[in-house]
Amino acid sequence: MGKKRIGIIGGGISGTCLGYHLSLYDNAEVVVFEKDTIGGASTAKSAGTVCLFDDSLKNRYWDVRLYGFESYLKMEAEEKGSAGFDKTGTLVVATDKKVEATIKTGIALAKAAGYSGEYITDKGRIKEILPDIATDNILGAGYTQEDGYFDGTMISNTYAKKMQKNGGAIKTGVKVTDVKVVDNKATGLTTSEGEDYEFDVIVDCTGPWSKFTGEMVGMDIPIWHTKAEAFFLCPPGKKLDYTFPVLKYPAFYGLRAGDNIFICKSHLSMDLNNPMHAGQWDPDKLPATGGTDDYFIDFLLDQLEMRVPGIVDSGLVSSWLSYRAEPKDFLPILGKTPVEGYMLATGYGGNGVIEAPAASRDLAKLIMRDEMTPLLEDWEFNRLLK
Amino acid sequence: MNIAVLMKQVPVSNDVSVDPETHALIRSSSEGMINPADLNAIEAALQLKEQTDGKAVVFTMGPQGTQKALIEAMGIGCDESVLITDRCFAGGDTIATAKVLARGIKKYGEFDLILSGALSADGATGQVGAMVAEYMDAPYVGEIQGIKYDETDAEHVVAIKKYQDQEYHIKTELTAVMSVCFGSNEPRFATLRSMRKAKTKPLHVYTNEELQMAAEDIGLSGSPTIVTDSFEPENERRAEMFTGTPQEMAAKLKELIDNEKGKE
Repeated sequence: MGKKRIGIIGGGISGTCLGYHLSLYDNAEVVVFEKDTIGGASTAKSAGTVCLFDDSLKNRYWDVRLYGFESYLKMEAEEKGSAGFDKTGTLVVATDKKVEATIKTGIALAKAAGYSGEYITDKGRIKEILPDIATDNILGAGYTQEDGYFDGTMISNTYAKKMQKNGGAIKTGVKVTDVKVVDNKATGLTTSEGEDYEFDVIVDCTGPWSKFTGEMVGMDIPIWHTKAEAFFLCPPGKKLDYTFPVLKYPAFYGLRAGDNIFICKSHLSMDLNNPMHAGQWDPDKLPATGGTDDYFIDFLLDQLEMRVPGIVDSGLVSSWLSYRAEPKDFLPILGKTPVEGYMLATGYGGNGVIEAPAASRDLAKLIMRDEMTPLLEDWEFNRLLK
Repeated sequence: MNIAVLMKQVPVSNDVSVDPETHALIRSSSEGMINPADLNAIEAALQLKEQTDGKAVVFTMGPQGTQKALIEAMGIGCDESVLITDRCFAGGDTIATAKVLARGIKKYGEFDLILSGALSADGATGQVGAMVAEYMDAPYVGEIQGIKYDETDAEHVVAIKKYQDQEYHIKTELTAVMSVCFGSNEPRFATLRSMRKAKTKPLHVYTNEELQMAAEDIGLSGSPTIVTDSFEPENERRAEMFTGTPQEMAAKLKELIDNEKGKE
């Protein structure tokens, strides 16, 4: 059987994870093109939280969450630090009955998979886990000690290394400048180095850049950018005397980052119709640090005063702005497009680190075996045309 | 004690380009931040302000977008800020800039002390503070590490300088101008609360309508400096990625360290 040649545009979590899953097939010949460094763009600004239960991904996609989490645990077990796992545990706070029900379902699913989790209503116990929290106006909190956050850049590089070990190739510092389309079929691409490549399948894994990548094949990829505005806070006492867990509220989340605390507005709280939250911008113009909006300070101050008053007087160490890429239903776009041989693995929004392993597993199956899966059906491009 | 702090917004990264004709740095392509040494100047000002119950006013010259850095400075603790902005000031060298800043400070009012960072992270001339002192006819102490104030002698302060492991204490009368070294103190952070409050603090804007500077003193025409050449340094640093098992990579690292040691 001849080799199937696959070109992947983008070397973030999406591209490297797909490259690795494809490289597991004997007859796949994979090349990943990355214009800068592996996992160095929007992946590097990912918080990397892969929690056993929170609202980042609907419980309907539990197996996606579990496959991602266990993939990274295995990666970490194979080589310590290769997934950058910080096992801080997660505290998911129930602010109303609906959130409470979601947390309880998540805990049940986690337990069914053999992990621990508990729903705590004893406010004193919640304060033992997170002394700086306000327990007024909350119903309870879901808690597990078994998860935490990972490092998207480390994971991308580990996937890249594993893919290369399986025979895949990576071209870094190489920008794809053109995708050749003949009779509505993508046949190859040209790079900034002036080299031409022929492929049977080309996959756009460029996330926030997908709108521009799609233009090369004449497609309008329905990707919107939502702002991921994050602050690094230095706690008032400069060093916390407890392990700050991944902290999840519907409107924001936090986690420890060394001695600091990383706080970000949650992507499900973004309003695509609010120009302060969403738009279609050029990710190349994003500054490395800074760039946050003034409204975010007011938002965060109000939230922390009400929710975690113990850290509200933290120092603002630094901030950054990143663009999440997502279609209007906040779900990824995976699989075939109207252009034959041109596929998408993009639009993960804030969930690339969680979703990439399961999505890549299934997409590799589609590319190599032409087999659909329920996940691919849910996240296929066609749904956005309806 | 009332203290003016001269602040400059510099690019966050080194990703600035050079205008091939004027040889000036093109900074517009990069996000700005407060010059690191100016944060030390602000901290020194805030410590003195707290000690003497005065106020700290931060001054900067730049485009409208520089307001963000001024608000941050007020979030850190400065009481008021002054943005000096006018298209006719653009392109000024250190002399033209110092003249405009000195005029702006005089326009605002009387100060006991004027502080600046010793060097900017982009231009790094270290000239503006000294030139402001000249145009204000005030004594100047450059590259200081700290300031001592004795409330029984409100007419003077003592600047602390370090040179070749020696510490020098230089007493000077007020009003004085001093430049503060990067790293000489630990700048405090703004907080979310102080940043919100900063938005309500006075931010004055001076254009040339207020300052009434003569055309020959400002902008390009007021700048005797001639930059004959400028270039972007070649980056000769090369990264080598180690691959293999942790043991193999550790062995390679040890070999590299041993090789480097041998070069000493």
